[in-house]
Amino acid sequence: MSLSRSPSPIPGGGWASPGLNIASGRSSPTRGFTGSSGTPVMWESSRLKKAGGTGYPSFSTKNQGFFVRHMRRFSSSLPRFSGSPYYADKEKLGRGRWSVHNVPLLARIWGIMSRMNKKTKIRLLILFLMLLSIFIFYNSPLVYHWRRSTWLGGGQKFVIILGANVGGGVMDWKGAREWAIERDSVRNKKKYVARWGYDLEIVDMSTKKRYAHEWRESWEKVDFVRTTLRKYPKAEWVWWLDLNTFIMEPSYSLQSHIFDHIEKHVYRDINEYNPLNITHPLAEPYLDAESQSPIGDGKASSVNLILSQDCSGFNLGSFFVRRSVWTDRLLDVWWDPVAYEQKHMEWAHKEQDALEQLYISQAWIRKHTAFLPQRMINSFPAGACSENGNDTRIHYNEQDRDFLVNMAGCEWGRDCWGEMYNFRELSYYLNRTWWERFKEDFLALIWFKLTGQRVKF
Amino acid sequence: MHFALPPRKTSHPPPYVPRSTRLPGLRKTRLKLIALAGLAFLALVYLITRPSSGGHAARAQRAPRGNPPVVLVTVLDHSKYTKAYLDAVKENRRQYAEKHGYQTLIAQVGDYDLKGAPFSWTAVPAVRHALSKYPDCHYVWYLDANSFIMNPKLKVEEHIMQSSRLDELMKKDFPVVPPDSIIKTFSHLKGQDVDFVVTQDKEGLSPGSLIVRNGDWAKFFLETWFDPLYRSYNFQKAEKHALEHIVQWHPTILARMAIVDQRLMNAYNKGAKEALYQNGDLAVRFPDCETSGGKACETETESFVQAWRRLFEIS
Repeated sequence: MSLSRSPSPIPGGGWASPGLNIASGRSSPTRGFTGSSGTPVMWESSRLKKAGGTGYPSFSTKNQGFFVRHMRRFSSSLPRFSGSPYYADKEKLGRGRWSVHNVPLLARIWGIMSRMNKKTKIRLLILFLMLLSIFIFYNSPLVYHWRRSTWLGGGQKFVIILGANVGGGVMDWKGAREWAIERDSVRNKKKYVARWGYDLEIVDMSTKKRYAHEWRESWEKVDFVRTTLRKYPKAEWVWWLDLNTFIMEPSYSLQSHIFDHIEKHVYRDINEYNPLNITHPLAEPYLDAESQSPIGDGKASSVNLILSQDCSGFNLGSFFVRRSVWTDRLLDVWWDPVAYEQKHMEWAHKEQDALEQLYISQAWIRKHTAFLPQRMINSFPAGACSENGNDTRIHYNEQDRDFLVNMAGCEWGRDCWGEMYNFRELSYYLNRTWWERFKEDFLALIWFKLTGQRVKF
Repeated sequence: MHFALPPRKTSHPPPYVPRSTRLPGLRKTRLKLIALAGLAFLALVYLITRPSSGGHAARAQRAPRGNPPVVLVTVLDHSKYTKAYLDAVKENRRQYAEKHGYQTLIAQVGDYDLKGAPFSWTAVPAVRHALSKYPDCHYVWYLDANSFIMNPKLKVEEHIMQSSRLDELMKKDFPVVPPDSIIKTFSHLKGQDVDFVVTQDKEGLSPGSLIVRNGDWAKFFLETWFDPLYRSYNFQKAEKHALEHIVQWHPTILARMAIVDQRLMNAYNKGAKEALYQNGDLAVRFPDCETSGGKACETETESFVQAWRRLFEIS
């Protein structure tokens, strides 16, 4: 009931009493409080208490914010609008005189324009047009359509397939963490796709009876790539992504990151990084020179499959295939019952091992396969491939701003959601706008130096 | 330092002095126009010459020139046949090739490393070898050792492989493996899309005589057929059953295959009537003659050897 400080005098003389009829500097929601001078003087707190349980907090003098605390000090230090108390008289004196404020805005602008010389007008017009075009291009759907069209930005040539709902379906239920992972991963890809005008196809990887019956679980990838190519007839490249991936640098477009200069980024000769020790190239005497060459024909146009290798061989968590007859053939022979029957005990990674097997034995596959350094499309967190410690070829590095991180194998004893959360936050942190940087790195720092408090704007 | 009044203009201006030092054609307005046009042109050039992301044109495959038009491939196994017989086979291929400007590729069993698979597999890498060795050929005709070419007048590319002719010859919507495989050849297949021609006898596909068209598909097909996992699988009839397997499981292969009547390229000297050799047929085969010993083949084929020698001499 007691105030924490005594009412202070107001500069005009007299006492300011909180809750009194005069402006107290607080605009509290006073229901039923008419504010007319006829009501008896009343402390606001007691009035509120009388009203009883209206849901509004009782009067408190706790620090409710910087502005409220210092309102009075501010308002009293402001310059006076008028020295004399006879405000109404001043109005009278000004009557009949010409005043700037009486002219309507448009007419005023017109006046300024007409007094302006022609050169200035043209310059202003150009400036205005530039600002307008910047606005139209960057703050309107135009940039999206530009990036999406096949002949300008070329975004329609790329489709991302995201394998969602892993392990769901008939096998088990998803918990809160799985849902959170899926939500974050999908949102990440959606944002990326919306930014660059690509297409996103989210596919359901839940265990299906159809595949269990044919023993071809995890070969669904093949079918999904095929149906996606059919669904998006303009797509040239399909990018497969596992669910546990996060695009760390959404500002990289696929074109600038890889496809504008495929031949510079990929390596065709697997000897460059060969964890599986595959003998390359094939030296069978019946093969032609191109098939025996370590780099195929060496042209960018002959690359139809781009993937990366981790510490234990091929990794299909993130790979690209191009629409081509070659790809049709690969997708067709990828699963074969005879191969499966002989190898399914050895093939722990199923379709990945099947592809390795095909690569090892078939020259026509080697000719059109290219590899990217893993960290261009498929960086691993420290927990994956960790037998030999940190490897600069494999593991994510914040300084290098790696494109994508793949939390491969996190479901086997690691914390998928924890990793996903950390990388998500890191990605946001690394990609702050200049305004966020200004606030967080500059203003907040100054505030911390001055007051010793950490604030978040 | 200045004067109260500007200096007077001279009363006698020099005659024929241009108003400015610029070229008379380049007025200010025109300059602007030229600048704008140049800008537009640069923008256009930029749009056209940008690296077309991912849009590299599909690889234009170099079309083989048809030199030689056809390569004949035969695999010889000296452990199974007598030398006299194999010499006759070689002579038969050589003469036929000479007549039409073809080339022959006679491979020996053991030329290629089969990793322990049955020797009959040698046919597959041999055909693949022909494609590597003669990259400009149009077709490769593989004819196994227990067969002879009987009609020197017929050319492979006209008798069978011409696309209009294939349209008539190939059996559409036809069970791949008799009598009632659920996998049938495509009913909408066109002759120009056919890259692989084979025949079928009463047991199944008969790869003792087959023709492939040179190209990317042929390489893919032969390499896939030769996959080590098929070789190690112990198919009962080795490469024959492997072929039936890939044809039935992989539609990209089935979509390029045509089955034609046996007598076109694979007539038998015995057995069912529709497959029986008649005079004028391109080739005759003696299925499984080598199973009863090398000498048996020689005696069984004796009349045919005399016949083709005579026919080749006449023509």
